[in-house]
Amino acid sequence: MVTAPRLPELQESLDKALRDAQGSVRRRGRAPQFVRTAAPPRTERMAVDQDWSSVYPTAAAFKAASVPLPIRMGYPVKRGVPPPKEGNLELIKIPNFLHLTPPAIKKHCAALKDFCTEWPSALDSDEKCEQHFPIEIETVDYVSSGTSIRNPKARVVTLRIKLSNLNLDDHAKKKLIKLVGERYCRETDVLTITTDRCPLRRQNYDYGMHLLTVLYHESWKTEKWESEKTEEDMEEYIWENSRSQKNALDTLLRIKASENVRNVTKEELLASEVVKNYRNSVTALKNEGETESNMSQYKESVKKLLNIQA
Amino acid sequence: MAAGWLWRRLCQGSAFPVSYASRIMQKQYLLPSSNLMGARLAGSHGDTQEPKTNPLVSISDEPETLYKRLSILVKGHDKAVLDSYEYFAVLAAKELGISIEKVDKPPKTIERFTVLKSVHIYKKHRVQYEMRTHYMCLELKYLTGSTAAVYLEYVQRNLPEGVAMEVKKTKIEKIPEHIQKPVWDTLPQVEETEIKS
Repeated sequence: MVTAPRLPELQESLDKALRDAQGSVRRRGRAPQFVRTAAPPRTERMAVDQDWSSVYPTAAAFKAASVPLPIRMGYPVKRGVPPPKEGNLELIKIPNFLHLTPPAIKKHCAALKDFCTEWPSALDSDEKCEQHFPIEIETVDYVSSGTSIRNPKARVVTLRIKLSNLNLDDHAKKKLIKLVGERYCRETDVLTITTDRCPLRRQNYDYGMHLLTVLYHESWKTEKWESEKTEEDMEEYIWENSRSQKNALDTLLRIKASENVRNVTKEELLASEVVKNYRNSVTALKNEGETESNMSQYKESVKKLLNIQA
Repeated sequence: MAAGWLWRRLCQGSAFPVSYASRIMQKQYLLPSSNLMGARLAGSHGDTQEPKTNPLVSISDEPETLYKRLSILVKGHDKAVLDSYEYFAVLAAKELGISIEKVDKPPKTIERFTVLKSVHIYKKHRVQYEMRTHYMCLELKYLTGSTAAVYLEYVQRNLPEGVAMEVKKTKIEKIPEHIQKPVWDTLPQVEETEIKS
């Protein structure tokens, strides 16, 4: 660029003007006409009885200019107070529930109420639910934030049913309990089947129902080898045809023989009161375990059986 | 959150899209009591008595599933957030008419681990981090399938960031027909000689 040669007076006035401008810039730091003044925050124009759900209709970050509350958050300065809400990162980071104030929740629920149905009033207690709907199916859903919404634990299905609600006879119930093993709880009479071998929840539920069906029908069947059930396999103690019965009868027969009473048959002995008492006490001891009442009952029955007045 | 558009529409008065929920009419209950009949008819009565029925509610024929218990466990790192969420969930349940069995606050678990402070050597100088997880368990009783779907969707859409939820549903069902009686009674007698050893 070629500049025209200037006259010395013009040059001087130009230099002076430039120096003045630079000097003024240096003094004030910034030209005032380029600074934007911030508008007053919206909170100043908010009425006290405004509709808050229109200010925060959905979940949104905390905006200090939209929330008319004097909130302070953060670690306080030395001998001071926590920082104010303007530009406060702590307030922006934490999830806020400004969109879920009680009036907003009530409005939402009022709109949602149409889609809800009522629980049948006849099923007001757990026992009635149990009586009419015996099977309980437990499934778990998982909600979390992450790279994937799937959770492999969600496919597990647990089926619970009380055996007293199933149509089973004595043999079928004992066979079913033997078939399921650990899945049956004796105290609560509940059979629990947990399935997770299939990849989908629906498949696991179908498999659980299939297992229940198979167990039920198989337990009603009587196989040929079931007649070989020995005394060790029995679930509860049965006094008939046991060693205790044989011993008691032998003892009584010998007592009667020594007293030279006419030959008493086994059926008469079995039908007598003392033998029945003895039978009940021994069965109770073996099935229920040793308790105070059981032991005293056994003692009384033995005394009556052997005619001891001790 | 992605729920923005949904709730804006809600506030404008128009409710949910049709695909979101449908009110399912309860049928096929073998309960002989009259209360149930009353409840079933009351539902349909309510619709006809009100002058305007919600056009987005559609009643389908399939039987309603029944949930005996709904157990919601919420896990988070911040107790204050969980407390606010508990207030919201409890109020929402009350407004929708769901009976709350109990609100439990199990104690927090702290998972701590120690790592070396420096990239290379300096074994004696370590730094310890910990992750605190607070829990809140909400147990609801006696919900129908549609009520449970509505409540769970509402509560899950408003789940705050960084909070996880596990919902344990206990559904009650009747014994299916094929388990009512053993099938061997109805099968024709099979000849023993057919079975080859």
